[in-house]
Amino acid sequence: MRRPGHRGLATGALAAIAALLISSCGAGGRPEEGEGGGASDVGVTAESVKVGGHFPLTGVAAPGYSEIPTGAKAYFDYVNANGGVHGRTIDYVYRDDAYNPTNTSQVVNELVLQDEIFAMVGGLGTPTHSAVLDFLNGEGVPDLFVSSGSLLWNQPGKNPQTFGWQPDYEVEGKIIGQYVKQHLPDAKVGLFLQDDDFGDDGEKGARAYIGDQIVAAERYAPGNTDVAPQIAALQAAGADVVIGFNVPSYTALSQLTAMRLNYRPQWIYSNVGSDPALVGSLLSRFSEGKVTDAAMLEGVITTEYLPGVDAPDNPWTRLWQRVWDAHGGRGELTNYRIYGMAQAYTFVQALQAAGPEPTREGIVRALEEVGGELRGPAFVPYRYSADSHAGLGGVKVVRIAGDATEDLGPVLVTGNGDTEITEYTEQHAGPPANGIPNVEPVS
Amino acid sequence: MQQFVNITLNGLSQGAIYAAFALALVLIWRATRIINFAQGAMAMFTTYLALPLIESGQSYWAGFAAALVAGLVLGALVERIVMRPVEGGPELNAVIVTLGLFIALQALAAILFGATFQSFPAPFGLRGFTVGEFTIAFTPFSVFVIGSVLVVMLALTALFRFTDLGLRMRASAFSQEVSRLLGVRVGRMLTLGWAFAAVVGSLAGLLIAGGNLVHPAYMDAVIVYGFVAAVLGGLESPGGAVAGGLIIGLALSYVSGYLGSELVTLAALGILVAVLLVRPRGLFTRVAERRV
Repeated sequence: MRRPGHRGLATGALAAIAALLISSCGAGGRPEEGEGGGASDVGVTAESVKVGGHFPLTGVAAPGYSEIPTGAKAYFDYVNANGGVHGRTIDYVYRDDAYNPTNTSQVVNELVLQDEIFAMVGGLGTPTHSAVLDFLNGEGVPDLFVSSGSLLWNQPGKNPQTFGWQPDYEVEGKIIGQYVKQHLPDAKVGLFLQDDDFGDDGEKGARAYIGDQIVAAERYAPGNTDVAPQIAALQAAGADVVIGFNVPSYTALSQLTAMRLNYRPQWIYSNVGSDPALVGSLLSRFSEGKVTDAAMLEGVITTEYLPGVDAPDNPWTRLWQRVWDAHGGRGELTNYRIYGMAQAYTFVQALQAAGPEPTREGIVRALEEVGGELRGPAFVPYRYSADSHAGLGGVKVVRIAGDATEDLGPVLVTGNGDTEITEYTEQHAGPPANGIPNVEPVS
Repeated sequence: MQQFVNITLNGLSQGAIYAAFALALVLIWRATRIINFAQGAMAMFTTYLALPLIESGQSYWAGFAAALVAGLVLGALVERIVMRPVEGGPELNAVIVTLGLFIALQALAAILFGATFQSFPAPFGLRGFTVGEFTIAFTPFSVFVIGSVLVVMLALTALFRFTDLGLRMRASAFSQEVSRLLGVRVGRMLTLGWAFAAVVGSLAGLLIAGGNLVHPAYMDAVIVYGFVAAVLGGLESPGGAVAGGLIIGLALSYVSGYLGSELVTLAALGILVAVLLVRPRGLFTRVAERRV
């Protein structure tokens, strides 16, 4: 009875000592190295660059999102196995914040002050990341490619270190709004919104086009899993099209509740909440005779900005599959893992552009200078410049059909506010043969 | 009109779940005179135990029964091993221990069962009944939920009011020493109280999980609302707990439907504060003063 406890204690003590040793080595060894290609800034050594991220690995937002860092890790491992960036490997540390802003502050503190990361890459969530925006900018930590489509990340004057990555929700809302206006002009539209910037920005975009068609806008508080009052209100308002700006678990909850009420509008979910594999797996246990089958999202309209697992022959998907097979952990390649890999790819581009002596200032400047010209896995380019830290500028509208999606129109690009929606015509190029970008250093 | 009906029915079925949970709190309060904050975590844990059984092809009811039995065993074990050392001491000690147990069980569940959302099957249909041309927010499963809660309420009332066992349980909770002198095996009564309460808690866990998504923290909201319901009902009477649960369920459903989902927790807190200010002993207690 006694012994295992003691052994556990001893192991714990050993681990603690080891951790102390490692962290003190890291802190002490850093500033001394003076030779070329060495430690050019915090988190950079002659051999490695340390980057960090915060993700919900547990809790309400964990389904799907917890897979993003595993994808990013696999791609970084792939790059490391192929020589790294300017001879340095990328050391990627990610921590669990359970989608709780209080935890985010704590884990980001640890990443910045204790792990001494060079940059944040892909920190996830609007409410969570908002909590650390001032801290990261105050500390001068490059805050790259926030995993959220909020407009908050594009404020280069106020937050010079922060860059968005995915199409922001306003852009997505506008493009969805235009689609509804053109193809469902007589529909009464209901909005199902997460009660924060996510829902607000999406609503703003949609209202720009279909303000007169919207009959109800219902908001749910994340964490409250009873959405029946909201869905009942949408039904009562007679909405026959419902646009959801919500996370995947709420897609499942809204579908379940709608089934209970026998409410069958045309559902449109933003890209964030619409992964068919994930929502299908959440709903699969209800399928025993009560729900047709896992293809509950059949016919649902959504948007896409990256080729995903439903296009296995796309050269980018083939690259991700290769990376995942070689360096992935348990589980299959999913769209969330592809998202993480695509972000990691963008970071490798940025680090290459920052040159052989990367500094925090340098990587931000490099993104502002050449970020708009970078091409990668996404259908459309980034909007990075000295005046804009906005990420991808467009999406295409698609319909879920079986395990795949079918295009309902061309790739569209736009900006925030009154910018018009235009068709994006540049051919989407495949990845380089070795799967690693090759961006020239800036100046 | 249809919206009002649906929000009302939804409030009733949610309220029944809070009521089930409040019943477990009432039971343990009457049997041991402490508030068990670990109740929700224990219920979550036993609900998770049912999941692999159902996954492996057993019927829903096998999982259901397994969870209830697991609840009985878990309740007894917790009382014997964890609570026994702090019983008889200051009440606060016992309450703090249940809080610790709550955190430990939740962490353990995350390690054993994973921290992600999983769907939990329901034994009955999840489509609402059709009345005329409308489908109402009332499913066969809601009927099952409300039926189970009523059965438990009646059983508890009968236990405490008409049986010798109930009397002995109440006596041991109020005054261990006197009961012991009168020949009541106090230790056994406390164990039994915990075991019964854990079974009722497990039932609440199963009822809220059915046809919904579960994760290690899925009971957290129910704990809060169930606690408000129990306080509303006065912590003493099973009937009061059920009434309290239904009132809370309805009130929160109306708040969510007509005022906004973000106000739900605030409304629950408001109700709790209002009840404690106006009738600190709950809306349904008959006994005005009973301090030991």
